[in-house]
Amino acid sequence: MAAKTLEYDVIVIGTGAGGGMAIKTLCEAGLTVCALNSGRRLDPAKDFRNHRQPYDMVYRGFGDPRKRDRYYHIENEYTDGLWEHGITYTTAPGTSWEWPRCHAVGGKTNFWGRSAARMGDIDFKTATLDGGYDVDWPVSYDEIAPFYSRVERMIGVASTVQGRPSNPDGEYLPPMKLRCLDHILARGCDSLGIPYLPDRLAQLTVAHQGHPPCHYCGNCTEGCDTGSFFSTPWFFLPLAEKTGKLELRTNAVVRSVLANDDGRARGVAYVDRETKQEVEVYARAVVVAASCVESARILLNSTSRQWPNGLGNSSGQAGRNLCDHLYGTTGYGYLPQLLGQPSFPDNVSASQVVWMPRWQNLRSPREEKFIRGYSIYPTGGCGEFPWYHDQIEGFGSQLKRDIKRHYPTPVSFYCQIPSLPSATNYVDIDPEVKDQYGIPVVRVHFQWGPNELLMWEHAKQATASVIRSAGGQGWGAGKEPYTPGWSLHETGTLRMGNDPKRFVTNRLGQTHDVSNVFVCDASVFLGCTDKTTTLSILAFALRTSEHLLDRLRGREI
Amino acid sequence: MAGQGLERREILRILAMAAAASGYPGFYRWSFACGHPGGAAIAPKPSSYAPRFFSVDEYATLEHLTQLIIPSDGTPGAREAGVSEFIDFMVSSDPGVQYRFRYGLTWLDAHAAELHGAPFRTLDDPKRNDLLGSLAYRDRYRDGEEEGRVFFKLIREYTLMGFYTSKIGLEQLDYPGLRIYLESPGCPHPDDPEHLHLPARKT
Repeated sequence: MAAKTLEYDVIVIGTGAGGGMAIKTLCEAGLTVCALNSGRRLDPAKDFRNHRQPYDMVYRGFGDPRKRDRYYHIENEYTDGLWEHGITYTTAPGTSWEWPRCHAVGGKTNFWGRSAARMGDIDFKTATLDGGYDVDWPVSYDEIAPFYSRVERMIGVASTVQGRPSNPDGEYLPPMKLRCLDHILARGCDSLGIPYLPDRLAQLTVAHQGHPPCHYCGNCTEGCDTGSFFSTPWFFLPLAEKTGKLELRTNAVVRSVLANDDGRARGVAYVDRETKQEVEVYARAVVVAASCVESARILLNSTSRQWPNGLGNSSGQAGRNLCDHLYGTTGYGYLPQLLGQPSFPDNVSASQVVWMPRWQNLRSPREEKFIRGYSIYPTGGCGEFPWYHDQIEGFGSQLKRDIKRHYPTPVSFYCQIPSLPSATNYVDIDPEVKDQYGIPVVRVHFQWGPNELLMWEHAKQATASVIRSAGGQGWGAGKEPYTPGWSLHETGTLRMGNDPKRFVTNRLGQTHDVSNVFVCDASVFLGCTDKTTTLSILAFALRTSEHLLDRLRGREI
Repeated sequence: MAGQGLERREILRILAMAAAASGYPGFYRWSFACGHPGGAAIAPKPSSYAPRFFSVDEYATLEHLTQLIIPSDGTPGAREAGVSEFIDFMVSSDPGVQYRFRYGLTWLDAHAAELHGAPFRTLDDPKRNDLLGSLAYRDRYRDGEEEGRVFFKLIREYTLMGFYTSKIGLEQLDYPGLRIYLESPGCPHPDDPEHLHLPARKT
């Protein structure tokens, strides 16, 4: 028998970008919120080891070799213990899928890449532009732009005004300065007509909203213990807690959204990770923000007499059209101009200072063999470990000198290629397998399609040209893209659209079927673009949260 | 820039806390090479190191190899950075590579015995350099030494892992990370964005 608890105005499942925005917005409006997070709360002073040198770590940052097989690529000795391994998943035959989930409060915002570009009409009107592939988003840039501005003011994004319609400009803090390697690569790009610009980087170049500026230690992806880039535990949850309206329950592994006899949601059932006991909690509305794949899993597992195929899934579309960014190393090499130079502070932002935003298919959507477009992120210079050592043969004093001489020179590029929505890429519930909490696991069906692979080829050739044009020497490129899921940018599965027969959520993120269930994560997106997802999750979640607020105040739900 | 001083102090406080929380007192040279801010609390270990995985003879060969790969040649090398201890620790923690190391060391001694009638660690410098050189440089590869080349790649990789994650190794590179800057530092050559007139390169 499940334990019964108080009733809240709203339950929010998840505390990452979308959930955090919903929690903050609703608490500040005076609603009582119960936030559920599947893992524990972090203490930045203890749990973030980003200021430790490799030699301060037992395994020098390489991690315990006995655990290496189970580490996700983003997980290492610095972030050990913060990623989800207890809740398993399965893959269909032919699918490889890596699904890193940070179960700590704040989710992936603790460690995110911080690239924060706005999407634009080139992304929202994509079907029209492409001549009919898939469908347009049910929103226009003009509608979303004010939400982007508000989010940028909340979180602080450093960049420059660039005047490219395919990358709408926002409200920016001063940009990070270009490094030596950027100046050299930018000239190479200029000669090819490829943009090489300061990234839209959610990293505080000046103090912002009470948060101290970045100190450029360069280990952002191990977590920031000064809170100098946006994460919900540093930026949103303290504001929500100050209202006295938030109850945050940790180690709460959500099983399902509970439905009333009339089909509307009445609450959420979860399993306490520590006691293994099932708990039910009730509210007037539910926000699902567990991240794309998990949110779909929760709704698909929320079966009842009223919702035999899962709550909100009368369309049969829940879990469909899973999209992801194809990531891969499109090329690496070195810049001989910098051989033998003293070391430069190049990795001040975990090396992420600039990007090469989509330049393909801009004048006409059919310039290339593929539709839509991709972006590339360059990295390089003096990093922690001289990974380029395998390009230099030999041993002895000459090897020592060569490694030092090359230290400022290496460059490496990785691509951000959107997969197209596809009927064969989706998640469903594995009928055979349950996790250790007795909850049926998700099963992933996913493969890269030809459009993505054409872009991957294009990106490798473009990268080789950039290295050459910059006067550099190429060393090689990744043999194949990284495993799907690697980008942590899953989108789709609960897509938004005006037609209840074809879409799970409406244009405001409310499920078509159930008026008091709202979705605040990238599962509502129609797909990936050449931009990252977090800034857009925040903007759409803000809009959805305010919509929820209006509906609650108007007693419409 | 009012307030920046306070913020900097706060950052330094956090850094000091993180440093105090770290520290792994497991090794003789290695922990010595680390030089923790709180290092005084870490008792010096006895001067002889007892290997965890390798036999005494294997470990002696390992020390020779790491020192040949990253020598002490005016600047500290693998010995001072405790690289053999690092490798012993990593291999003892990693059943997946133990066979490859043991087999490789065995191969090396057997090969040295075949060529010169003695184990690798007892050879003189020219003979050791010759043997290793044929495993390390493409233009000196010899037939029948494929397994030795595979092992050399492995031991070289672990040596570089151990050396360039030590304080000594990172200082030799002048690793700029984990320093604190008040402003985004950027390129130090504002008058030469094309980087065509950089100061003379050191050899």
